[in-house]
This record gives sequence, C-alpha cells and structure tokens, in this order.
Amino acid sequence: MNRNEYLSALSKLLEGIPEQDKNEILYDYSEHFRIGQENGKTEEEIAQALGDVRVIARQFKADCSVRQAETNTSAGNILRAVVAACLLGFFNLVIVLGPFLGVVGALFGFFAASIGISAGGFGLFIGSILSPVLPMLVNLGGFDPVAAAFFAAGLMCLGVLFFIGNCYLARLLYKGTVRYLKWNIEFIRR
Amino acid sequence: MCIGRIQRKVDIMNIQFKKGVLELCVLSMLFKKDCYGYELVNEISKNILISEGTIYPLLKRLKDEGYFTTYLEESQEGPPRKYYKLTDLGAQTKLELENEWSMFVEGVNRIVKEANDNEQE
Repeated sequence: MNRNEYLSALSKLLEGIPEQDKNEILYDYSEHFRIGQENGKTEEEIAQALGDVRVIARQFKADCSVRQAETNTSAGNILRAVVAACLLGFFNLVIVLGPFLGVVGALFGFFAASIGISAGGFGLFIGSILSPVLPMLVNLGGFDPVAAAFFAAGLMCLGVLFFIGNCYLARLLYKGTVRYLKWNIEFIRR
Repeated sequence: MCIGRIQRKVDIMNIQFKKGVLELCVLSMLFKKDCYGYELVNEISKNILISEGTIYPLLKRLKDEGYFTTYLEESQEGPPRKYYKLTDLGAQTKLELENEWSMFVEGVNRIVKEANDNEQE
C-alpha cells in the first residue's frame, strides 16, 4: 500500500469519529509517513511497518466510543461502545457481549417485574373499589375490600419504588460497563 | 506437536507482555525528554517487535486521559512537528510503573536463576 491508499483507507474506516479527532489522527499518520520518507524509507515499507489499517481503525473507534459513552450517558452510546469493543476480537464477543447481554436482560426483567407489580396493584385497587358495587364482576375471595384497597395501594407504591431503584441500578451498571470496557480495551486486545 | 503448543504459549506471553509494557516504555521515553510521534514509534519498534501503527492509538488514549499534553514546534525540515510532553500525572505514573516493573523482573529472574542453579547441582 502506498501513502495515499493507506491514509484514505484509514480515513474511510474512521467514519463516525468526531471530525476533530479524525483530523488529528490523520495528521499524525501523514506526519509519520513524511518523517519516515525523510529518513529514507519507502511508502510501502512504512505502510507495512504500521500494520493493518483495519486493526488500527478499530482501536481508535473503540477508544472513541467508550469515551463518548463516558461523557454522554445514553443507551445508544453504551451500545455503540460495546459493539466497538466486540469488533476488536473474537475473544471479546465472549467476555464483553455475553455478560453485557446477560446484565441487560436481567435489568429488563427487573423493570418488567416492577411494572408488573404496580400494574397488579392497580388492578387489585380497581377491583377492590368495584367489588362492593359490582359483586358479580369482582370476587375478592372473602377479603375485606378496604383492606384489599390499602394492600393494593401498597403494591403500587412498591412497584414504583422498585422501578426507581432500577433506574439507579441502571445508572450504576452503565458506569460499571464503561469501566469494564476501558479495562478490556487496554489489556485484552488482539 | 509439542513445539506448536510451546510456540503458542510464547506468542501469548509476548502479546501480554508487550501490551502491559508499552505504556511504561512511552512514559519512560517522555520522562527523559519531549518527543514527537515518529521518534517514539521508531525507538520502541527498534527494541520491541510490534505493529508500529498501534502505538498511535495508545498515545491518543494516554493523552486523552491526561498523562501528557501536546504542542507543535517549528522544524527546519518542513511543517511543524507535534511533540508529546509528560504531565505530572504522567511522571508519577511512570515512576510507579517502573517500580512495579523492576520488582516484577527481579522476582522472575530470581526464580528462574534459582531453578537453574538447583538444576546444575
């Protein structure tokens, strides 16, 4: 590969990275080519010594995605960071994607449970109000409607609290994922 | 078949060593004096077998995390060159890493030497 081929390949692969970072990276590599040629090396030799463009681009993208996820908390950002880390090597599919999917699945489960509890409480609340009025529709199984109503209110509150707790948990897991990705990129790289 | 497995172990060990040690090398070089990118890459690749291109991502990451700053300096040979300069955090980290490394190398050498001495008896 010659210098222009290398740099344009790198430029294309770096799509998605902030313009400023991308320009700086390209500046560094073209400077590298320039100084290398000043020292008597050919473009092919320099390109060869630099190594596979794709590997390099993936590393830059992974670093960039993780930093994005760190500064701007969003589901999209953390997802992009996980994907970028997975692209670094097959091994990462196992130790990054696997646990990540597990954690996300569990989190979704918790959210669903909290909504379920609230919904159930709400349903019970409606039922306990209706039961003295429409005994044919609702059968509380002998429970006192007022007691049932209070219990239902309690369930609804529990569900809401659970949901709020999950939000904090999600934030904690997000930060934990960012830290794990940083560690992973630094030490487990092919 | 045995040689293949040994070679694989050596390769894996090399990769892990290099990854951990690259940061130390960069910090050490910058501790001595400010360097520009090509200088760092050239010097390191003279001593350690690596893909030169992967040093730049490392430099960028370390700079973003505050281990060094960069500045442009005019050069007679053409466009200004980008120099890397260690920050206080970088200098501190260099000393710590260097310490860890020395202890590690001493420890391993001691064990290996000990085993070799015992073998010769």
